[in-house]
Amino acid sequence: MKHTSYLALKYLVVLAWSAFVVFPFLWMLSTSFKSANGVTGGATWLPWLQYEPSTAGWSALFGGPGGVNILRPYLNSVIVTLSASALSLVLGTLAAYGLSRFTFRAGPVRNGDITFFFISQRIMPPIVLAIPFFLMLKTLGLLDTLTGLILVYIALLLPIAVWVMVDFFNSVPRGLDEMAWMDGCTPVVTFLRVILPNAMPGLVVAGMFCLIFGWNDFFFAFTLTFTKVQLLPVSIVALNSSVTPWWALSAAAIVSVAPLAVLAFVVERFLSRGGLAGAVR
Amino acid sequence: MTTTKTTVLKRALYAATALCLPAAAMAQDYSSYGIKEDVPGACSFAAIDAKDYSGRTLNIITHAIPVIGEPTALHAQQFQELTGATVNVVHVPFGDLFQRIMIPFQTGQAAYDVLFYASLWLGDFNPYFAEVPQSYQDSSGMMSVTPTYKGVATWNGKMLQYTMDGDRHYLKYRADVFENPEMQAMFKEKTGRDLTVPATWEEYNEVAAAFNDMDFDGDGQPNFGSAEVTKRDDLMFSAFISRVAPYAKHPDVKGGFFFDLETMTPLVNTPGWVHGLELFVEAQKSMPPGGTSFGLGDEIFSFGGGQTLMSYSWDDAFIQAMQEDSPIRNKVAAAILPGAHEVWNRDTGAWDHFDEPNRAPYVTWGWSSAVAANSQNQDMAFDYLCFFANEANTLSDLQIGRFGVNPYRDTHFDPAFYETEMGWDAAVAESYATTLRDIDGGANQVFDLRVPGVGEFMSSLAAGVARAMSGEASAQEALDGVAAEWGQIVDRIGADRVRAAYANVVALEDR
Amino acid sequence: MYRQKYLFLLPGLLVLVAIILFPLLFTIRVSFSSWDVYNPGLNWIGGDNFTRLLADSRYWQALVRLSLLTLATVTLQYVLGFGLALLVWRDIAARRLFRVLFLVPMMTTPVVMSVIWRTIFHESLGPLNPILDALGIGAQPWLSQAGHALAAVMIVEIWQWTPFMFLMLLAGLLSLPQEPYLAARIDGAGPIRTFLSVTFPMMAAISTGAILIRLIEASKLMETIYVLTSGGPGTSTETTSYYIYIRGMRDFQIGYSAALSLTYLVVMIVSLTVIAKALTRMVVKD
Repeated sequence: MKHTSYLALKYLVVLAWSAFVVFPFLWMLSTSFKSANGVTGGATWLPWLQYEPSTAGWSALFGGPGGVNILRPYLNSVIVTLSASALSLVLGTLAAYGLSRFTFRAGPVRNGDITFFFISQRIMPPIVLAIPFFLMLKTLGLLDTLTGLILVYIALLLPIAVWVMVDFFNSVPRGLDEMAWMDGCTPVVTFLRVILPNAMPGLVVAGMFCLIFGWNDFFFAFTLTFTKVQLLPVSIVALNSSVTPWWALSAAAIVSVAPLAVLAFVVERFLSRGGLAGAVR
Repeated sequence: MTTTKTTVLKRALYAATALCLPAAAMAQDYSSYGIKEDVPGACSFAAIDAKDYSGRTLNIITHAIPVIGEPTALHAQQFQELTGATVNVVHVPFGDLFQRIMIPFQTGQAAYDVLFYASLWLGDFNPYFAEVPQSYQDSSGMMSVTPTYKGVATWNGKMLQYTMDGDRHYLKYRADVFENPEMQAMFKEKTGRDLTVPATWEEYNEVAAAFNDMDFDGDGQPNFGSAEVTKRDDLMFSAFISRVAPYAKHPDVKGGFFFDLETMTPLVNTPGWVHGLELFVEAQKSMPPGGTSFGLGDEIFSFGGGQTLMSYSWDDAFIQAMQEDSPIRNKVAAAILPGAHEVWNRDTGAWDHFDEPNRAPYVTWGWSSAVAANSQNQDMAFDYLCFFANEANTLSDLQIGRFGVNPYRDTHFDPAFYETEMGWDAAVAESYATTLRDIDGGANQVFDLRVPGVGEFMSSLAAGVARAMSGEASAQEALDGVAAEWGQIVDRIGADRVRAAYANVVALEDR
Repeated sequence: MYRQKYLFLLPGLLVLVAIILFPLLFTIRVSFSSWDVYNPGLNWIGGDNFTRLLADSRYWQALVRLSLLTLATVTLQYVLGFGLALLVWRDIAARRLFRVLFLVPMMTTPVVMSVIWRTIFHESLGPLNPILDALGIGAQPWLSQAGHALAAVMIVEIWQWTPFMFLMLLAGLLSLPQEPYLAARIDGAGPIRTFLSVTFPMMAAISTGAILIRLIEASKLMETIYVLTSGGPGTSTETTSYYIYIRGMRDFQIGYSAALSLTYLVVMIVSLTVIAKALTRMVVKD
């Protein structure tokens, strides 16, 4: 009896949270098929019954009248996010392995301080970095280019990669390394042949965070480009005029979350296989 | 957004005809561009068609789509087809537009050739703009701009902005409710006076309160009294100034509305301002749920969707109400902003009584455009702007409400245009065109504070007003705080510098 | 062979330093200038910006408000995330579906989602109040009363970022060894005692890390505030980052906002260090 009520409570909580999670998505889906008249009469959910459906919100994203075409920005976002994430992941994994396995010392600075230095780069409010980054890219001739954005995004993503991977490597037994060393492997070979193949779960988590933060950045993508290079969030926001187009922004929110939602399935697979064991210890 | 490639066939055709015939003699049909007919002149379709900018690129920054952003892109596309230039357009929400323009300016980066922005920023942007060449000032399109909007475009005697829009605040109300005998009777019973279009802000508040939270249009949904822009950093300052103006802008007192031009003392905590704020605070009880944090978008939906009885700000809400499929199409009307019977006279330090309410129309915001001084393509940039604003394009843009291009030429104030071209009822067209014309030609206008640091002044003002609105401070305390901050800002920028800039605004008001 | 250790650390460290060094030094330099909308450039005004900042009560109020808001939000995220992770850890049907579902909010774009949330909280046109009405709770003044507006901001943050805690803690749970649980069962420990004496201590290290990162990220709360409330009603939802945004990007007081940011950076580093120490001590004591 006690067990049953516990079970009922458990499902109740899980379902309640699921409802909370899904609610905005359902609202977006419904809203994305409305027009101004479907919005100004109060909240409605069901097309045809409660409001006259319209595809204006969706066509506004794909070059329809009074819209933008997000295809090119979408591609730009993919390029920038993937490149910056990959580079951050490589550099971050190497640095994290070094910080996890070796002792570095420079004056009072120890490993822990170096790790904190990496993470602390995320504290600064982005607003204040706009002008220095702008001047830096201007000097390098990289304003309004994909390369310039990739460079800046590395500064945003590398700290995350380092943080996740340090924790991950700390949980991988040192015995693995030592065995390889005794076999005569250099640290580099050890890392490549022995540690890296076992590091997939950590890489998945770190990679996921890099992709999320890279894909969703608006501020730098906005400040450091002019007219030639536009990323997805910037081109979506181009629809947010005096009249807030609830419909187009809802459609845009769905379109922009789609690729990352696929990522959630990948991450979950690793999670459920127990593959993430140690990814975050 | 990069506008798509030239429609090759069309271009080839135009190129061919341009070769065969001298441009002046040609009476070509450009109606495929959505205009009724080309209007001859230096900026006409034919004149632009005769130019060749192939191989050159024009970079444009503009507002988000559709307001101003969509016509920018449309005319960019046309310009591209007519001249062979490549035109790149980027669209930015208004809240982020200022910084997006200012950062390249201040760091010396030539990022954009053409800029569309809010005209009140001219005080900050003027050092970076190229003067409109005399030949464009003499074009028929520019000659027919009303003096008000030519004034807005001018800075220290130079025309720096290319006028392509006219904006002002005015009152919008539900004509069907005001004319409904039942509603008139109900109002009479509640207040003891006849229901009239509010002539003062006290009346506005009274009418709004009387019709608040009832179903006055019989659609089963509750209606409310007033929709106003009240969200702190979302143009609320404009709404507030509209409410303050008639109490604080005495027709006989010259020399400044925001500051006393001589001493540069802020006037924001003088009795006229304080009274305006008290009425704004009081009006909160007649707003829809959440109406005390409405942004402009919410205000447009609220009035334009038929939720509220009255509203005042720019054209958008009115246009929304007049959409083809709108449930309240032809049930709305426009009027000049309410006025005040009691007006503060800062010369005498006393309230003056006006039997006929004092009106002080607020000519605010207004999209405008300019060419960057560091642009390498000024010739092409000015050609683009004069093409954007040519008579044929403007008449076509005026008819598409979401474009946000609003009347700024004498010819635009003709009610017949809205009646025949847009299918408005005669009464609606009449009230709209007359209201706009009266504001344009009216005396005692108030203009935006177009001085360096306007963003700082307005965010300080909005923060103070928000404190009073939320009850954190009384109206007087809140505005005293604003006045103190304004004093500090003036000190920081330098009183002479602000005064020199503000003199331009005062000159417009006192002309 | 230990010389090879630099091959690991230096590429990442040097790249980061190369990218971040100029912006950091520049920001420090700018904070001693009066760069603003009318005086662009690096003049020298000494510590004027910092003196002004000390007397800027709006800034300090925003900082206090941010601290409370962040601590409350992150605590709630942690508790909820931990609870949800425990619930879908084992013995539940369709657990893989729930796990994916619980992750997705974190992947939405904040700058777009905040607009969607504003439509949800819209008091007369949004979907939330009719639902609350139907449930008998009644419509709420979501964005027009100070307390409600703070709650609305917290709800958005909790919706979006509880998944972060959930992921970190679930991954931790799934990697726990079995032995301690067998031992606890032999001791006859109930579920609550098992949680307190076995699960929680083993999850302490990972909890500390996740909490610290969330504190850093949550403190940057800006976009949501801007769209939902613009810091209102009054100043009741104004946070530090939003205030810096207003001063920096709206007012374009670049010098002053640099000073605000550097002060914020120092405050954050100090308090994060203290919090990290405190959390670690709690862990060790347990």
